[in-house]
This record gives sequence, structure tokens and C-alpha cells, in this order.
Amino acid sequence: MISNKQAKRDAKQLFRLCLVNSLLDENRARQVVQQVIAAGQRNSWAILAAFLRLVRLDCTEHTAKVESAAPLSAELRAATQARLTSLYGPGLTTSFSDHPSLIGGMRIQVGSDVYDGTVQAGLAALEKRF
Amino acid sequence: MTGDDCANMTAFYAFIQAAPQNGGGQVAEIARTFGVDWTHLGAQIISFGIVCLVLYKFAYRRVLAMLEERRQQIAQGLANAEKIKVELDRIEAQRQEVMAHAYAQAAKSVDEGHAAGARVLEQETRKAAAAAEQIMVKAHEAAALDHDRMLAELKREVGRLVVQATARVTGKILTPEDHRRLAEETAKQVVM
Repeated sequence: MISNKQAKRDAKQLFRLCLVNSLLDENRARQVVQQVIAAGQRNSWAILAAFLRLVRLDCTEHTAKVESAAPLSAELRAATQARLTSLYGPGLTTSFSDHPSLIGGMRIQVGSDVYDGTVQAGLAALEKRF
Repeated sequence: MTGDDCANMTAFYAFIQAAPQNGGGQVAEIARTFGVDWTHLGAQIISFGIVCLVLYKFAYRRVLAMLEERRQQIAQGLANAEKIKVELDRIEAQRQEVMAHAYAQAAKSVDEGHAAGARVLEQETRKAAAAAEQIMVKAHEAAALDHDRMLAELKREVGRLVVQATARVTGKILTPEDHRRLAEETAKQVVM
């Protein structure tokens, strides 16, 4: 347990080293991983696991998934991306996808924040009320 | 000694007492006719008297005492019989009283039994009525729960069908303009 906590602390320090302007630098992250593997410490795998978890969390927090029932127009995509960037910062990666099962509307997920305006969500809420 | 013998002896003594009045010769004649020996007769009378005295002294008194004792025993027996009769009457009366008391007690017990039976019957009837009432209440509650459950299931089913139908219909009737408008409304939710 103590080594696990220590590994988490080490991973957190390494993760902070990888941040440039509060954004994760991919090259630094790769270098850190290579250095940890090269060091061959006893708890290298624990440190790398904790580091990977932090990287995944950061990627999730800086990734916006925009799902819509019908393809969005370029203007709407640009406007949505601009709104998300102004809210979550410039390092946000936005991905757009079409899902006809949503019936209508758009669903945006950034990290743990969800903006769901789809007809499917409305119908699900309506079904729950019955 | 029979009654005839007593009558003969009485006549004989009356003749002897009447003899001096009629003259000694006539008596002597009669005595001679019957073969009476005065000496012998006197000796017999004396011996008879002695025998009578002895018998009176040693037999008759004892017999009398025995008879008295028997009489007393008989009297005692009669008295005892009378006592026994009285006792029997008393016992009979007591028995009658006891029987009457027993009859009364039995009648009272029967009445009490009837009353207790009536009470038990009433209690059991009341219990049965309460149990029936409770069963009815539980049945009503169960029916109400079933009704509510079925209503909820029906509501859910109706909701599911409504949602399913709405989803099918909505997907067909939404125009590109509707899609755009819906997407813009969602995008407007993303604000600082």
C-alpha cells in the first residue's frame, strides 16, 4: 500500500512535468514513459499505471464528443467548437459523429459534463416519468 | 299345663274347700272313691312346695332374670330400631336434602355450562367475525396493491409504447431544419 501511494505520488509529479501551459505535451509524456522503463525501478509498473490513468483522465477532460442525429453543418460545428473552446480552454479536442438512434438534436460530452438535447434523451426522461 | 288342666284343678280345690261344710264323711267318701291318701297327698304337697321354692329360687328367678334381660334386650333392640328408624328418617331427609342440593347444584352447573357455552360461542363468533373482517381488509389491501401494481405496469407499458411510437414517428417527421434547430438549442446550453 505504501509503495502504491508512493507510485501515485511519483506518477503525479511526472505528469506535472509533462504539462506545458496546463496542457499535456505528448512528446514529454513519451519521454517520461521511456525514462521510467529505462530506470527499471521496482515499482516502475505501478508508476506507469498511475501515469497512464492520469493521462487518460486528462485526455478525457480535454476531449469533447459531439454526437448528433443528423450531420451538422459546418457553421454549427464551428460555433459549437468555439463555444466549447471558450468554456474549456484552447487544448480541447472536439470530435463530431452522427448517430441516427438519437432521433434528433445533439449530445455533447466533455469529461464528466454532458449536454444532452437529443430527442432520445427526452423520450427516455418521459419513459421514466411513467 | 293346658287350659283344661287348670279348669280341673280349680274344680278340685273348690271341692276340697267345700268339703267341711258338707260334712267329713262325704269328703272321706269321695276321697276314698278317688283313692286319696291324705298323708301321701300332704307329703306330695310339701315336696311340691319345696320343688316350687327350689325352682323359684334357682330356676324361675334366673329364667325371669333372663326373660327380663331378654325383655330389656328386646326393648333395647326396639329402642335401637326406633333410633335406627329415626336415624334412617334423618338420613333419608339428609339424603333428600343432599339430593335436592345436588340437583340444585347440577342444575346450576348445567345453567353455568349453558352460559359458558353461550359466552364461548359468542366469543368465537366475535373472533370469527374479526378474522373475517381482517381477511376482508387484507383482501381489499391486496386487491388495491394489485390494482396499483397493474396500473403502474399499465402506465409503464403505455409509456413505453408511447415512447416507442413517438421515436418511430419523430424520426420520420423531423426535417433538416428541425435537426438544426435542436442542435442549436443544445449548443446554446454550453455557456460560461
